[in-house]
Parts: sequence; structure tokens; C-alpha cells
Amino acid sequence: MALKNNLDAVIVGGGVIGAACAYFLTKAGMKVGLFEKGDIASGASGGCDGNIMAQDHQPGYDTNLTMISNKMYKELLKELDWDIEYSEKGSILVIETEDELKFMLDRMKQQLACGLPVRFIDKDELYQQEPLLAPGFLGAIECSSDAACMPIQVVIALVRKARSLGAEIHTFEEVKKVKLDKKGKISGIVTVEGEISTSIVVNCCGAWAPFLGKMVNLDIPIKPRRGQLVVVEQVAQVGHRKISEAHYIVAKFNPELAEGTDSDLIKYGVAFVFEPTASGNMLLGSCREFAGYDTRTTLPAIRAIIQRAIHFIPSLKYLHCIRTYAGLRPYTPDHLSIVSQVDEVPGFYIAAGAEGDGIGIAPITGLLMSQIILGQKTTIDINPLRWSRFSES
Amino acid sequence: MSVNKNKIDNEDLIICRCEEVSKKEILEAIADGARDLRGVRIRTRSGMGLCQGRSCEVLVRKIISQQLGTNLKELPPSTRRPPVRPIGLKLFMEDDNGFKE
Repeated sequence: MALKNNLDAVIVGGGVIGAACAYFLTKAGMKVGLFEKGDIASGASGGCDGNIMAQDHQPGYDTNLTMISNKMYKELLKELDWDIEYSEKGSILVIETEDELKFMLDRMKQQLACGLPVRFIDKDELYQQEPLLAPGFLGAIECSSDAACMPIQVVIALVRKARSLGAEIHTFEEVKKVKLDKKGKISGIVTVEGEISTSIVVNCCGAWAPFLGKMVNLDIPIKPRRGQLVVVEQVAQVGHRKISEAHYIVAKFNPELAEGTDSDLIKYGVAFVFEPTASGNMLLGSCREFAGYDTRTTLPAIRAIIQRAIHFIPSLKYLHCIRTYAGLRPYTPDHLSIVSQVDEVPGFYIAAGAEGDGIGIAPITGLLMSQIILGQKTTIDINPLRWSRFSES
Repeated sequence: MSVNKNKIDNEDLIICRCEEVSKKEILEAIADGARDLRGVRIRTRSGMGLCQGRSCEVLVRKIISQQLGTNLKELPPSTRRPPVRPIGLKLFMEDDNGFKE
């Protein structure tokens, strides 16, 4: 067993959060090693749809976090010498009922107060812009700053850049043990290939974060939440930006308005999401379900997703599905990520739990983690993301 | 002249026709850390097109095995995902369409 050089910091997890932490910590001058059980982007980052979307977030802190992160993406485009297929094409949330309309217009005022560039598009403008939408919708909320990217390419780009700046990337090297010294501080890790000494371990394992937590006796309340997606064949443009349904927001934040919705939709947490990608394919989503660590796709959920998509864009029925896939989003009970030190285990840090927002908030997460570790002033208040919130209530 | 089908020499050769991925790009992906079909797929898009790797998979497997010296039989298969071939979305419009889990 070869003893590797001592590292200033060990990142565990080769998804977008681990890659962003490795990049920002390396850039800050630390000697970093990233350890990943499989290949990079083999968890949720390789099984999602590449959202950098603020308009589906709660107005306030959650929205601000994505707005800052989206700005950082534009800076990163200059630093990363790899195409991540970033495009700020905007997104719309289509409104179907009067109740949804009232809710969304109220919500829009709060979003505007956050500085999010949102506006109401009336029926006429909506059908002028999106002629393939089914008739009968009342309008939409448009957010011009919402963006999309190819999530796997983001991970590849960050890992390549971190490596070129000196980070060690150890894929297919599972961490078996996290070592503590007599005082209970982090002293190293043991992987399938050997031992590494370090005083800092950052848990970026997403839905698998609880397993690394267990190694230092922490009970991390992250659960895997499965999202399934449908890939549609490449055809001439059906739509040019992300289209999703307002009902999704209404149901998420105001469940009583969701009553009377088709039961399969509720059962699998299905909401219409249409995402044209840079490759010319289209992705259809979405669903949210607790199914343990099972990453298979299932017929009932896929059927519900496709039926919902055809309800909004009927001409999709003439196209073909070429693949389905799924990923496990790291869910936390309060829907906020954990980006924090852990006082009980000095030297142990957590950057996980972004659920479906990992791609969107990866840059700000990586930057915050480097600021926390280096004891610098953070770009945004990190109090809502602190680990200790779970033991307080 | 006999052709050795196991030897894929020309680096400009298109291996994945759907996504137009050359042998050179596949070699670069392997140098970047790809060890299996999925690793090559995520780095190059090979196998992500209309045929979902049904044409190129055999060739990509051979290249990986040549480069890494792994036995072809030991290379894991690509992640199998439904459907087995492109399928019309309209077939999903009825709840009872004869599909079974």
C-alpha cells in the first residue's frame, strides 16, 4: 500500500459539489485530493437535467443563493477551458387556473423584491412565443436570467481545472474509513488503496453523505429522493427555453391548492418540466419520490411524466423517447443544503443536501466551503446552511 | 488483402455515428480517466444518440480493452435503460397500453 503525500484537505465525492469544492480550495492555494468511489459524475450529477434556475425557489435566501451562483457561472465560463453548454435562455412557468394565477402574481412581487428579473406574460404573448403549447392557458411567469448547462460537462470542467491547478483526482478509490486523533479531530482517511493523512475532510457525497457521516458517528438527515427523466430524440426546435408548470410551485408551497390533482401525479411527485438541451435532444421531467437507493426508472412514473408533458405540449406525442434515466437527489428535511463545519468533529465539513439544486448552486457552494475552511468572510450569510440547525429544534 | 477487424488504427475513424465521435476523442476520454463504457459516454457523448450505443458499443469496448489491457469479458456493460429502442411518446397516452413493468 502506497502512502500518499499528506493533503491539506480531502474531498470525498466526485459529483458537482465535490468538483466545485476541489476547484475553489485548490484555487485558494490548498493541496487538495478528491476521492470518489466510482467515476466522476456517477451519482445525481450524472442523472439530472442541468438547472441553474432561480424562479422555482422560495423568494428570499434560497433565490439569492442561486442568483449569486448563476453570476459565478458566467465568471467560471472564462476560467474553465471546457465547454459546459451554459445558456441563459430563461424559463417560463405556465399558469393553468385562476387560483394559480393569483398565487403566482403575489409571489412575483416577492421575487421582484429579491431582484429576480421576472415578469408576467399574458395569454396573447405566451401563444405568440410558444405556439406549440396546448390552448387554454392563462399566461406565464418568465424569468429571463434562468439558465441551463450540461451537468456532466460542468463536473468534468471543474475537475480538469482543479487537476491542472494541482489537485489530485482519485477516481475509483473508495474511502473506507475516516481517522480521528485522540482529541477527536480529523487525522486522515483510509481508502481501498492506502492511507492519507489530512486534518480536513469535506463530505460531498450527496445522497450518500450519511454513509461518510457514520464513519465519524454523525447522523446526517439526508435521504435519497429519486428523480426520473425522459430523453426525447433530436428534432428541429420544439421550444427554445425551459417550460414548466406553475402548478408545481403552487403544490410545493401551497398544498391545499393542489387538491383534485390526478392521483398518479401526486403519488410520483410529477410536475411538467420541458428542457431543450444544447445537443438538440429534449428532456422531460419531473418526479420526486423516496425509493431508497434504487436508481431504476419505472413505467408508472415515466408514463405520468410523458402524459403530463403531452397535456402541455400535445405535438410531443409525434416524437420518440430514446432513453429514460434517474438520479438520487440529496433531500434534507428543510429543503436547504448543508454547507458547514461540524463542531462535534473538528476538521470535518459537509457540503451536501442541495436536493435538485446541486448544479445550480455548485459554484457558490464551492466558494463558501473554501471561505469557511480558510476562515474568510463569506460571500453570503451561511447561517441558514449550518449543520447545527438539525440539533437545535 | 485481409482486414483485421479487431484492430482499429485510424484515429479519425468515426466510432459513434449518431454523435460523430472519433477514435481520437475516445482515446482522450480514456486518458482522462474513463475506465468503462459509461466513462467514455459521459466524456464524449458516444452512445448518447438515437441508437443509444447499439452500433458503437462493440467498438468502444474493444478500444477500452486495448488501451487499458482489460479483458473484454471483464468490462462492465453500459447502464441498461428503457426503452430498448426508440418508442413513440403517444404510446404512453393511455394508462393501459399493454406495457408491463
